[in-house]
Amino acid sequence: MSLGTFADSRSLTLGVELELQIVNRHDYDLCPSSTDLLRLMKGHKLPGDVTPEITDSMIELCTGICASHAEVLEQLTVTRDALVGCAERLNLGLSGGGTHPFQHWSERRIFDKQRFHEVSALYGYLAKQFTVFGQHVHIGCAGPDQALTLLHGLSRFIPHLIALSAASPYFQGEDTGFDSARLNSVFAFPLSGRAPFVTSWDGFNAFFDKMARTGVVKSMKDFYWDIRPKPEYGTIEVRVLDTPLTIEKAAALAGYIQCLARWLRVDKPFEPSEDDYLPYTFNRFQACRFGLEGTFVDPATGEHRRLRDDIDASFAALEIHAMELRAEDAITYLRRELAGSGNDAGWLRARHAEERLLPELVRRQCLRWAGKE
Amino acid sequence: MTDSLVHLLKIDPWPPHPGLLFWLALTLVCAAVFGGVMHRYLRLPRVLGYGIVGVAVALVGMGTSDATLDGTDRLIVDLAMALLLFELGSRVSLRWLRVNKALWLTSAAESMLGFGAAFAVLHEAGMATDVALAGAPVLGVAAGALIGRIAAETRSAGQVTERMIVLSALNTLYAVLLGRVLIGGLYLGHQHDIVQGLAQPLYAFGGATLLALLLAHAVGWVVRRYDLRDENSVLLVLGLLLFALTLARMLGLSGLLVPLLGGVCLRNLSERPCIWPRHFGTAGAMPVVVMFVLVGATWSGPMLASGGVLALVVLGVRLLAKGVALVGLASLSGIETRQGMALALTQAPVSATSLVLLADLQASHPQVAAQIAPAALSAIALMALAGPVLIYLGLRLAKELP
Repeated sequence: MSLGTFADSRSLTLGVELELQIVNRHDYDLCPSSTDLLRLMKGHKLPGDVTPEITDSMIELCTGICASHAEVLEQLTVTRDALVGCAERLNLGLSGGGTHPFQHWSERRIFDKQRFHEVSALYGYLAKQFTVFGQHVHIGCAGPDQALTLLHGLSRFIPHLIALSAASPYFQGEDTGFDSARLNSVFAFPLSGRAPFVTSWDGFNAFFDKMARTGVVKSMKDFYWDIRPKPEYGTIEVRVLDTPLTIEKAAALAGYIQCLARWLRVDKPFEPSEDDYLPYTFNRFQACRFGLEGTFVDPATGEHRRLRDDIDASFAALEIHAMELRAEDAITYLRRELAGSGNDAGWLRARHAEERLLPELVRRQCLRWAGKE
Repeated sequence: MTDSLVHLLKIDPWPPHPGLLFWLALTLVCAAVFGGVMHRYLRLPRVLGYGIVGVAVALVGMGTSDATLDGTDRLIVDLAMALLLFELGSRVSLRWLRVNKALWLTSAAESMLGFGAAFAVLHEAGMATDVALAGAPVLGVAAGALIGRIAAETRSAGQVTERMIVLSALNTLYAVLLGRVLIGGLYLGHQHDIVQGLAQPLYAFGGATLLALLLAHAVGWVVRRYDLRDENSVLLVLGLLLFALTLARMLGLSGLLVPLLGGVCLRNLSERPCIWPRHFGTAGAMPVVVMFVLVGATWSGPMLASGGVLALVVLGVRLLAKGVALVGLASLSGIETRQGMALALTQAPVSATSLVLLADLQASHPQVAAQIAPAALSAIALMALAGPVLIYLGLRLAKELP
């Protein structure tokens, strides 16, 4: 068993995957209808794909390989519109957000596919608890060593990405106090967290072989890291984002990551090191718990800053790269949101304060996802 | 010795006269026990246990084997039907039917074929046209209350669950209206009374719609202002529903139509979800359980001997007819053939709705009802046991049970 070769891909290309909630339109609880939805989607020509996920009230959509933020948004719009149309024929709602606010994990059903049954057999109730919804962003890398360098460079911005994308304050019917409660479900997996600090593909292969020899892993899919290399695509995959409430936000986040990647590659603002990971879990916790108001500890200086301020500073540093990548709209979108509701967790809490009914909140999420609010 | 002991203990009267409450309590205890057995050991819906208790009640000679559903029985059935049909109606999204027009078509086709099948069999069996027509809604109607109960009890979820609820609610709506039109027609045919013939259906629909709208607005107001996790708020909604039912009875409106339409109006007047405890909590669950016992209590040997075969033929032909529509239009409306077959199974039974329609016909046209009663009561009795199993099998075939 080996990782194989790292596929060729164009540097800084983008691919986005979004896991979505399928809900009924009666009480807006999760509804096991991915099979029906996938069947209806077969008739649609999509720029990407739509696939099942581990429990049958989830569905994943992905774009093809995109060059820019605008292309991501264009592809997401086509797939979103097709999905919403099919869902309406079945009287279903589709919603973004990292968790369903009031579903009970024990009622979930594993999708009928061999890998999902294997995961369920191994992880037990954790598999059903994994009914959480994330956005994954792939960034194309010219080679594997470049990919690993980018992976460790981007790790410093994991808290920023968590805080910006956080959209899961409610879980199992309660306000958890976290902006991103989704990641607490991911952390329960034994192979979650950060990748080992290895910056050469040979070194990474050696690590993988040792792990495979222990029998703990069989493929890269067994690692639930925050960022992981994806050799078959020639990309690295950022996995910490909650699925946003809109495709516009999803595209903007992808654009922001693309700009960060270009900045790290072209300007090389710092040299990644193992010590970057000293405050990693602290920073990540702060981002999950307090979102944009969380504390960020700069791994280089030890300085404590508010995440909101550090994100704002990053927007300024990325301006030239956003121009080069034609991703200005993405940065403008995030800037405007930062000044407004902050993140989707803020939007969800504000709506719930008005409505005081979680099913109504999910209905509003569905409207937002469909582009009708 | 006994007399002196009774005198000493002041037990009066002796021997004791068990009243209504005694029998009600005994029924509840037996229904709960058998319902529990069905659920725990056979993994079948509890409602089957209630039906079995009903059959047992009938076998000891305390059944309801005639078409007149009156007194306390009628009150309990009306109460339970109001709760179940209001819940059922509140799941009918007109928006869905607008978006998925094939579902409208499916509903119209399966209802028309179902009523048509019942009419054709009764007519072929030698009944006069007007009698067979009057029997069509009684024997063609879906078991909306049973479907609602089983969906809630099993927590099934998916396309077949959603569609069996919507189709049975619409079918019940058509059946009640058809029933009223046909009763109006009977006035025209038998008594040449045009005013009665036209006024009956118009008043039935207009009056029921008005009352249903008032009910929906009132419940909607409560739902928006109060938290329905609070028992008191649930009782308020239950009270409003009972009030609407009482008004319907006082004004001679259908006790099926008002709550059903009320639910439909509530669902469609506002998009905000309305969620309340199943059957409005324990207070609502009690009449529901007793009603399914009463449905089982229609079981009677002589009745089955006279109408059982005809009932079986009607049920069989009806299943085939509905199946043609539900399976034939499955793909057009967005589901698989297997799901269409599952849906057909769920629409096969008759239950309390038929009992109420028959009782209404009995009240207005006893001679007509008397001709239909043997087949109708036999079908209801047979389906008291087979109905829950068929719906359960349908949901299993659709893989929608948890």
